[in-house]
Amino acid sequence: MEREELKGALSRRNFMVKATLAGVSLVGFGALSSFLEACGAAPSATTKGINWAKATSLEGRPLSELVSAAKKEGFLNVIALPPNWANYGTMISTFQKKYGIKVNSFAPDDSSAQENNALSSLRGTSKEPDAVDVGPSFAVAGKKEGLYAPYKVATWDTIPDYMKDPDSYWYGDYYGVISFGTNLKYVSNPPKDWSDLEKPEYKGKVSIDGDPRTAADAFAAVWAAALAMGGSLDDITPGIDFFAHLKKIGNLVPTDNYPANIVNGTTPIAIKWDYLNLGYKYQWNGNPPYEVTIPPSGVLGGYYCQAISAYAATPAAARLWEEFIYSDEGQIIYLAGFAHPARYEDLVRRNKIPASLAAKLPPASAYAKAQFPTLAQTAKAAAVVQAQWGPKVLGA
Amino acid sequence: MPPLWAIIWLVLGGLYFLVPLYATAQFSFETGSHGLGTSSYLSVLQSQDFIHDFVFSLELAVGTVLLSSALMVPTVYWINLHIPQVRRVVEFISILPLVVPPVALAVGVAHFFSFVPTLLTNPIILVLAYVIITLPFSYRSLDAGMRAINFKVLTEAAQSLGASWWRIMLFVILPNIAASVLASSFLIVTIVMGEYTFASLLLFNTFPVYIEYVGQTSAHGAATLALISFALTWLAILGIAWIGSRIGIKQPSTTIGAR
Amino acid sequence: MSVVTEQKAVSVKPRGQEKIRFRLPSAAILGVLPFFAYVAILLVVPTLYLVVGAFQSQSGGFTIQNVTELLQSQYLNAYLTSVEVSGITAVVGALFGLFVAAAAISEGIPRWIRQLLSTFSGVAANFAGIPLAFAFIATLGLNGVATILLKDMGLDIYKMGFTLFSLAGLSITYIYFQLPLMILVILPTLDGLRKEWHEAAANLGASRLQFWLHIGLPILMPSFLASLVLLFGNAFSAYATPYALTSGYLNIVTVLIGSVLNGNVTASPQLGDALAFGMIVIVAATMFVYGILQRRAERWLRR
Repeated sequence: MEREELKGALSRRNFMVKATLAGVSLVGFGALSSFLEACGAAPSATTKGINWAKATSLEGRPLSELVSAAKKEGFLNVIALPPNWANYGTMISTFQKKYGIKVNSFAPDDSSAQENNALSSLRGTSKEPDAVDVGPSFAVAGKKEGLYAPYKVATWDTIPDYMKDPDSYWYGDYYGVISFGTNLKYVSNPPKDWSDLEKPEYKGKVSIDGDPRTAADAFAAVWAAALAMGGSLDDITPGIDFFAHLKKIGNLVPTDNYPANIVNGTTPIAIKWDYLNLGYKYQWNGNPPYEVTIPPSGVLGGYYCQAISAYAATPAAARLWEEFIYSDEGQIIYLAGFAHPARYEDLVRRNKIPASLAAKLPPASAYAKAQFPTLAQTAKAAAVVQAQWGPKVLGA
Repeated sequence: MPPLWAIIWLVLGGLYFLVPLYATAQFSFETGSHGLGTSSYLSVLQSQDFIHDFVFSLELAVGTVLLSSALMVPTVYWINLHIPQVRRVVEFISILPLVVPPVALAVGVAHFFSFVPTLLTNPIILVLAYVIITLPFSYRSLDAGMRAINFKVLTEAAQSLGASWWRIMLFVILPNIAASVLASSFLIVTIVMGEYTFASLLLFNTFPVYIEYVGQTSAHGAATLALISFALTWLAILGIAWIGSRIGIKQPSTTIGAR
Repeated sequence: MSVVTEQKAVSVKPRGQEKIRFRLPSAAILGVLPFFAYVAILLVVPTLYLVVGAFQSQSGGFTIQNVTELLQSQYLNAYLTSVEVSGITAVVGALFGLFVAAAAISEGIPRWIRQLLSTFSGVAANFAGIPLAFAFIATLGLNGVATILLKDMGLDIYKMGFTLFSLAGLSITYIYFQLPLMILVILPTLDGLRKEWHEAAANLGASRLQFWLHIGLPILMPSFLASLVLLFGNAFSAYATPYALTSGYLNIVTVLIGSVLNGNVTASPQLGDALAFGMIVIVAATMFVYGILQRRAERWLRR
């Protein structure tokens, strides 16, 4: 990820109404909002008889109709999409340029739970997110709570079955595996596999991305360790025990491995999603030198899911956004951010992946052994972590 | 010649405050393998989002100061003057914002105002909420200041000269607790400039939201921003203090007789 | 109205309150009506929402299970840790703040020092979250400025077992906003200790110690106690800083609530409500203790 993508190019929202003109702004807002709300969905969401707010697919219409409906709506609200996470910065800016629709990107570091909450708290307002990118268990919860609208993108059939909801309320967008990232400035001999982490030379250097009871990234790290230590998709306990051991011998640094912490040497060995670690590697460009490995003995895959909000502020734009993400162009943007797109196999089969990009990625063999848990397995493992992480690792 | 103990404590305090800032500064200037440079600062200061979000937070801060003062000064005065029995209740209420987690407060407020959706997306909701969040500090500060002056005597004196309640409050009481109002304003400004949870939950892009985001994604950005935000907020405070001195706010003046 | 009921309840125990009128002229209630109305809408209602949620089950019925679950060791431990950190940093912060504030306004110290201290404190009181965590990592982290300095001077604190990511480290970090808060809150009170009183007491032959014992401390005590409570509450409710520093490795109630409500893995809002309810109970208890101490202090003042 180039630094340039962090600056300027990305337009984050701005609804700035001066508080001192609150009276005027309230009137103005009232007018705008009631205009948008009065009709349930914006009237411009209807084109030649099709109400995009209710559309469950393109329904035979050409994409251009959706595009013009979206353009009439005028904007797109997205949430929890950091620019350097799976290349969302480029995804957003490309979408904006391509269709001339302004993208308001809110709360980039919100969690999946916060995204679902936003869908209900902000319902009926002009800030209602149009689409979300959440972890699978939250996708299921969101469907249950009626937060999403079903939609099948044009390329629906090429999304793997195990990554999508049969009723099309949510669908996996990209996946990654857990990897090791090592700041070579502080660690000259990077660990290659899970058992290496127990070596005394790594004392006070190993870290995961937060608390596994709350962060999907950290949770996956524990699970990947479990796979390597004799556990399975049905048994995450060896992973918890492994990290309890690391903490006891002092190898585990009890803090989050934010990029700043990796760079300043507080967490020089960072266990994170591969697309994050690879993103840092290319962003830092040797400064500091950063090596990324996928530990072979325990490879856990995790995917995130797209879903369209049932009360989207701009339903046509929301659907266009999904069509864009799942187009070849969108999926390759994910890959350029080192996140394997859901339709990766399909793209490989049709030879759509640029060679230069393929060269930057870790070898396919590293991903061959990736195991993806089912929703039931995830729920069970999460409960185990909730119950055991505190007592075993924190000693509380 | 100041007493030795005073010098020692001031030095200790100064060291404790300044060393972490120095450490942050040092990290913010590290741009490369061994180099020191200002590239981190340049990229931050040139960011559109930075300027937008900072100004937005500043505006929220000013709004909160105004609303909070308008609400709290008369209230504190009234309670002290007429109904001190209510003090316990008010003290408990004033501590409440500290314990109700901002997350819960935001969810509750969002739910309550969901029938007026336009309010939820208007920045005014943040000002309304921030008055509550700063309540413990504004109340404490104003109450301490009020009790330190002889408001009873002042009130009676002014009343005997025929002043109405508003005149008393604005021209007799307020000038005397001006130092407290100023202290309360400082606290409010910095609290608002640092409040993250509420703003992020309602998807507003305030300065702290921006800082958290940069801290989670950029290597040196957090340190740079930390210092910039510190410096800028300090300038804002100094601005308020300067305005205060221009209007002639001094220490609480000597009063008639002891407390 | 609730205000009148409260008032009646208090008036049943008229200890030391003979001078205060019992009958409340209606105009007086009107004076505080705006405040109570504002607070009712924006604070009481959301809090009630929370309290109700604490006793609600997933399906919506009444249950005390959420609250009893709090007695499980990991939640109890979170409360204990939070109270411990808050208590330590409240006391240390209050004393440190009192001395620094007093130092700043003592004889011979130039006026601009007070001004500098008060404005700086205004900013530092809200320096929290990621920036503060990073500042202390840069200072006392494994490769921190102070750590290396101490190592050069022969004191390897990490070898001695210290780590920033511990209760001690978190407390040291908390002081960074507790100290300035205390300074800001106690300065006006210290101003209230008129210089003339020092002189008057000295004129009457009182020693420094006697001044403090009979005049200074009694006047200071109510505000000092109030500040202690404020600092305690401030530390107790801190979320961004412990999260940024320890990311859940230290069992702190606010971080726990955040993880329950906002987690990426599981979500249980009722448990979050129950945890928050527990926080309110603890603070209510603190206020109660404070009330007792306050009455003691006021009696001391009256003598």
